[in-house]
Amino acid sequence: MATVQLEEICKRYSGASELAVDTVNLEVADGEFMVLLGPSGCGKSTTLRMIAGLETISSGSLSIDARVVNDVSAKDRDIAMVFQSYALYPHMSVADNLAFGLRRRRIPKSEIDRRVNEAADLLGLSDLLKRKPHALSGGQRQRVALGRAMVREPKVFLFDEPLSNLDAALRVNMRNELVKLQRRLGTTMIYVTHDQIEAMTMGQRICIMNNGRVVQVGKPLDIYHDPADLFVARFLGSPPMNVLEVGIERSDHRLVAKVAGRRIALTRWNNGPFANSQAKVAALGIRPEDIELTDVAQLNDADAAILPATVLAVEPLGAETMLVVDVPESGEMIARLHRDVSVRPGDAVGLRFDPDAVLLFDAETTRAIPPQGSTREEIP
Amino acid sequence: MSIGPGLDTLRGLCRSGGLMAVLVAYTVYSALPFVWVGTMSVRTTSEISADHYAWPSTFHWSKFKVAWADSNFDQYFMNSTIVVVTAVLLVTLIGAAAAHCLSRYRFRGNRLIYFVLFSSIIFPPQIILISLFQVLVEYDLYNTRLGLIMVYIGLQLPLTVYLLEGFFARIPQDLFDAAKIDGYSDLEIFVRLVLPIGMPAVATAMILNFIMLWNEFLFAVVLIADEDLRTLPVGIQRFMGDYFQDIGMIATGMMISIIPVLIVYAFFSEKLIQGMTAGAVK
Repeated sequence: MATVQLEEICKRYSGASELAVDTVNLEVADGEFMVLLGPSGCGKSTTLRMIAGLETISSGSLSIDARVVNDVSAKDRDIAMVFQSYALYPHMSVADNLAFGLRRRRIPKSEIDRRVNEAADLLGLSDLLKRKPHALSGGQRQRVALGRAMVREPKVFLFDEPLSNLDAALRVNMRNELVKLQRRLGTTMIYVTHDQIEAMTMGQRICIMNNGRVVQVGKPLDIYHDPADLFVARFLGSPPMNVLEVGIERSDHRLVAKVAGRRIALTRWNNGPFANSQAKVAALGIRPEDIELTDVAQLNDADAAILPATVLAVEPLGAETMLVVDVPESGEMIARLHRDVSVRPGDAVGLRFDPDAVLLFDAETTRAIPPQGSTREEIP
Repeated sequence: MSIGPGLDTLRGLCRSGGLMAVLVAYTVYSALPFVWVGTMSVRTTSEISADHYAWPSTFHWSKFKVAWADSNFDQYFMNSTIVVVTAVLLVTLIGAAAAHCLSRYRFRGNRLIYFVLFSSIIFPPQIILISLFQVLVEYDLYNTRLGLIMVYIGLQLPLTVYLLEGFFARIPQDLFDAAKIDGYSDLEIFVRLVLPIGMPAVATAMILNFIMLWNEFLFAVVLIADEDLRTLPVGIQRFMGDYFQDIGMIATGMMISIIPVLIVYAFFSEKLIQGMTAGAVK
């Protein structure tokens, strides 16, 4: 077990003008399940490969268990990695795949057998030990890849999108098993994925990356409720957060957002930014699940947090219904509603939302504008 | 509608029948000369002169014994085996190592080396014959099996690298990364991963090299002068005199010389096809 510390880590590929990984600072605690989340090409896999020792570090310092390992080769870092493609040796049996790394380390045969059998028992591979990888299903291969990492008993486990080649049902299953395994082994794990559901459900903390930089680090729900910027706000959550461009105005010591001819009171920001009364533009974020349908007549109440809208599409999903609506001057929004919805495309509706549930973002920098009392740590 | 399926079957029959006819014609076209040499190998030269294409009236199997023991074919066979097997093993090993490096490591000049190596395939080997002869004489390698082995290695290296490079390049990088994390060195990865995983391609390269070198005549005839060092294809030529050609004996020698090729092909043809199509499927 070990801590992993990344300080000012940069990666520049030869010939590339931009940094693939740009000044990443991250500390993974001992025994923590840390998820690196981001869209493809955001540098999360490169970061993981640098921790593994498969990529050189252009600048910065990487420590595992308080030892700087920048120049330590992959095999001497005491880490194990599970790859997206599983990377099982195709010409070896499952047992040989599991034992391959141990043999190189000159571990006594009896000890190798003990570890292989233990891992096989734990992962339900005991009956498959003599098979070759091509005779295994995707899920079984995944387990072998996991077993191969486990038998090494490393300080740190690294996962590079290990579930993305599995079908949906198996993925949910393996997700739970991985979390259970992590609790049982208590080993530090760093897990790379572009799947926000995996990140939300598995990570004790999530590190969201974009364009090679860390955008936000925190507990899954903290990030969900309090995203650092528009990118995080849109990236976490499905369907993504609705973002409306609004005009900000201060009148009678109250801060209001003007949108679609309505004035929405932003009470949480009353004493905060926009101190001067000059009009400003900002982005207003509303999660689809924070919206409910209401009668158009309610729009008569000028101060209520209700937007007028026209229904474009109704998508019943069984447990819930997605409503795609058009808000005048603001474009499309998605509402996530209770399963029984009687509206049809073309209907005029009112969208009511809790003004305390909205988020506000700077229109230029896209950074979140924190309301009073926000305690989120800023990433420099 | 009702005649649809019947028509389809008829069309299908015509199509498969047509295909079959082409295949049969091609097989006959390729096999007949071989059968002809086969029949000549058990007939005497005078019988052959009397009627070129006749079926053997008596099968003179003893001709094989005469060729083997009295006409020095055992020696030629031994020479061919030593030269070709050594050359094939070495060229495969060197070629595989080169192919692995070219396909896996990024270094300056990688593609240039590959291009130079590959472009040598397009030149006819005859153009280097005279200079090669001179070089071998210079280094006391002329008229030695070692000299011929080295020439054969050089001759087959481009094809071997070309065949293997494409296959090795398709081995996923993750496997190498996994082996590195498992603690294996670059050389160990080559021996324990690349060679076994690339075995279909390696086998293909070995078989092709074996067949091509076993039948190689030009370099063998120029670079070997000593009767006792001759390889099989050159040995067969010994039956061709200036005024008299022992056609029957030549045919017998040919049959002896192709036996190893037949055996190699019969046992490994599946591997050969596997290696050639491996890239197409996966």
